[in-house]
Amino acid sequence: MLTEDKKITTSQTVVIVSNCILGSGILTLPRVLADSMKTSDGWISIILGGILIMLAGLCIVRLSQRFPGKTLYQFSRELMGKWCGSIFSILIATFYIFIAAFELRVMFEVTTLYLLEDIPRWAIIMSFIWVGLYIIKGGLGAIARLYEIILPSTVVVFVFSMILSGKIFEVDNLLPVLGDGIFPVIKGVSSTILVFLGHELMFTLTASMQHPEKAGKAVIIGISIPLFLNLVAFVMVIGGMSVHGVISSTWPTVDLLRSFEITGLFFERFDFFLLVIWIMQILTTFSILQYNSSLGFAQTFKTRMRPFMFCSMPIILFIALIPRDVNELFMVSKIFGDIGVVIFVILPPLLLVYAKIFKKGAVR
Amino acid sequence: MWKVIVDHFPGWDVVLQAVMLLILPIIFNYLFQWAHTNLRRRNSLKDSGNAGDKSNAAENSSPHEQGQADGQQVMERYEDNLAWLKERATKHCDIHIREFMVGGENRAALLYVDGLYDKTLVDTQVLESLMNKGGEEGHPDDDIPVTKENLLNLILPISQVSDTHQLHQVVEDILTGTVALLVEGVEEVLMLSGSAGNSRAIEEPVSEGLLRGPRTGFTETLSENTALLRRHGRNESLRMTKFKVGSRVKKDLIVAYVEDIANSELVDEVIHRIEAIDLDYVAESGYVEQLIEDNSFSLFQQVQSTERPDRVIGALMEGRVALLLDGTPFVLIVPVTFSMLLQSPEDYYERWIPATLLRLLRFFTAFLAVFTPAIYISFISYNQGLIPTELVVTIIESRQSVPFPSIIEALIMEISIEILREAGIRLPKPIGPAMGIVGGLIIGDAAVNAGIISPFLVIVVAVTAISSFAIPSYSTGITLRILRFLAMFCAAFLGLYGTVLFFILVCSHVARLKSFGVPYVSPMSPFRWNDWKDFIVRMPLKVMNRRPIMMKTKDSSRRDK
Repeated sequence: MLTEDKKITTSQTVVIVSNCILGSGILTLPRVLADSMKTSDGWISIILGGILIMLAGLCIVRLSQRFPGKTLYQFSRELMGKWCGSIFSILIATFYIFIAAFELRVMFEVTTLYLLEDIPRWAIIMSFIWVGLYIIKGGLGAIARLYEIILPSTVVVFVFSMILSGKIFEVDNLLPVLGDGIFPVIKGVSSTILVFLGHELMFTLTASMQHPEKAGKAVIIGISIPLFLNLVAFVMVIGGMSVHGVISSTWPTVDLLRSFEITGLFFERFDFFLLVIWIMQILTTFSILQYNSSLGFAQTFKTRMRPFMFCSMPIILFIALIPRDVNELFMVSKIFGDIGVVIFVILPPLLLVYAKIFKKGAVR
Repeated sequence: MWKVIVDHFPGWDVVLQAVMLLILPIIFNYLFQWAHTNLRRRNSLKDSGNAGDKSNAAENSSPHEQGQADGQQVMERYEDNLAWLKERATKHCDIHIREFMVGGENRAALLYVDGLYDKTLVDTQVLESLMNKGGEEGHPDDDIPVTKENLLNLILPISQVSDTHQLHQVVEDILTGTVALLVEGVEEVLMLSGSAGNSRAIEEPVSEGLLRGPRTGFTETLSENTALLRRHGRNESLRMTKFKVGSRVKKDLIVAYVEDIANSELVDEVIHRIEAIDLDYVAESGYVEQLIEDNSFSLFQQVQSTERPDRVIGALMEGRVALLLDGTPFVLIVPVTFSMLLQSPEDYYERWIPATLLRLLRFFTAFLAVFTPAIYISFISYNQGLIPTELVVTIIESRQSVPFPSIIEALIMEISIEILREAGIRLPKPIGPAMGIVGGLIIGDAAVNAGIISPFLVIVVAVTAISSFAIPSYSTGITLRILRFLAMFCAAFLGLYGTVLFFILVCSHVARLKSFGVPYVSPMSPFRWNDWKDFIVRMPLKVMNRRPIMMKTKDSSRRDK
């Protein structure tokens, strides 16, 4: 018919990557950076981390382009051999489930803290998972279209609410630049990389693109949107709350918007807008991760996706509720972030070199 | 190690929740699939041979070339034919047979249905000409023998004449308004088209009033409707293809499209779906709409209906397809996207800046119409902290006498508004406004005074009601009203969080929808910059020089060069 639903456009790829990266990180990154660096130079780390991730993303794209029309789960057997490849695919699909569970839990913690105090836990979590299921049941085309609706509003509302916080912005909080030298910046880069994970979607998305040759462009733009938003968030949060204020706050970006009031408008506080769009963002991250994990299992076992979509729901719920409090949650997230960095940042260049040396896949 | 696992085990209630989490969607999924397959089976394509009835409506010929082969043929003797027809006619008290002599020699008979035939045509053109046999009044021209050719060429001054060999066909055609002429010595029955069933004058459509733009609306007569489309401008490539729908009661349905613009795959798909219609009677274009739409479970309409010819022409020029059914002024346009439902033809007649602002306003009102009560409920019940303190104090003070939670309070008011609106449609015109005053003002005021609802809610309900009236299309208004109630329940259950989830759910549903292969949310997604010129904003006409890309038209440029 008039549309090719199996394939996504380049702009849809950009949007999916951006939506996947914009998850829980945007609320916590300023604290994580300030905590690990103790200086206000985190914005340099964000830029460096973003560039690093772009390079990793490009490696993934180049690797995927060697296997046109195939996702990671399909070409991993060709690349690494039958057993190694299958195990690698299953590992990645399982990894996505854990990350999805983590996002779910973060969402739950933030909503109970700021929006709903006395609602039973199951109501919040189950409704969220079910909405996610409805989204992914529509297939990649419908997911892409939904994300294209959500992302522009997110960017507008986010930037708008950040601009409002300029009311309490003080440049002094961001100075001096590189006061403690370059070392903390490099230390911070490792934290920022965690936030930008999401570029690995290109492993599967490249195969579904109408124009796979534009995948490199797509991943760079797709990363620069969250890079920009994270940069804005960091600068405004540190500028508004100072490094010390940020360290003591669990969700500094929300607290920033709660710390001032604007009179004369209908709403006095704007954290509500931020939370609304942030819930939407978490849901997009969550559902694309769940989709990718189901896709991974389905393609590895060469079956349909739907059983995996359904079965991953209770598993995600269970995993999400394992950490007992927020501190444990962040501890676990750190571990998974490190695993993610190894798989998706360090490994792809190696795989690419390996594929080039042994001439795996179609040589362009 | 074991201790750590036990410590972190989330609890047996979580296991139960996990099971519920899995089972409920599976049950729901199976139910849905069951319903879906049932629907599809009923809709499945049964080629009932309607495809053979294609013919061009623009030609001045009757469309029934192929009648039933097993019907009664025209017999040789005039008496036999007449007797056969008379026998059939006794079943219909409104079929009249007028026997007379052609030029005083050949016997002839006219068959027509009371009230359907054109009386002046029969009296002045047919009867007079035949009785005089083409000659001057009172001087029958005896030289012309009565043959079919002579009747057509010399005697009958009528434009629409066709002939048939099938007596069976004759009865069928008479019932639609043609006049049958049976002449001794002529082998065929002549069908004189001149149906003059009563029709309404062309009026401005009630459901789609505009301040600026043509004041014409479609009527119930198919030929008049096609004429309205033709009259909009000379355009040879405007194709109209006629179909018959309904197996027992047959009705004409015309598929109209611009041949060198519309995507041929789209046209084929539309025709394919129309041929698949298998129903004994198609009463209104709403039937067609429901039988050809993509998703019967969706709240959103996937076919647009309109009474305005200018809207149809506009859609045709964008590469869409229009369906005109006999007997209804509502013409269907496919495929439809969500943004079309919030657009009005007036947007193009006004200058672009006001038109853009009006469109923005409509998108905003659509949002208000769905979400205002939900936001009210979530603010009152869960998230008081998000609105300014003074306002909270005022609202809480005003709600002190209200004994219900906000959802009940809002439901009372919203349902009474819906009742009022429904009643308003049925009421005779002179009582309508009075009823509005009684309902809106008195009930609202009394309810506040009685302490059932808070004054603030009256504002909320009024805003939603007015917002939903600002939507140009009535059916879209209904959709938004239903969504509003769902949103209210979500808000009552989970506050602002529930509202956000509901918003995503609706977005996700809309993103999944397709109307004849075109994503419902185009051009928002798939994102096409060019189509945004005519979406939320309406750019100057000088800039809009391409047709919508989403329609994949054959001729994408609106300019000559």
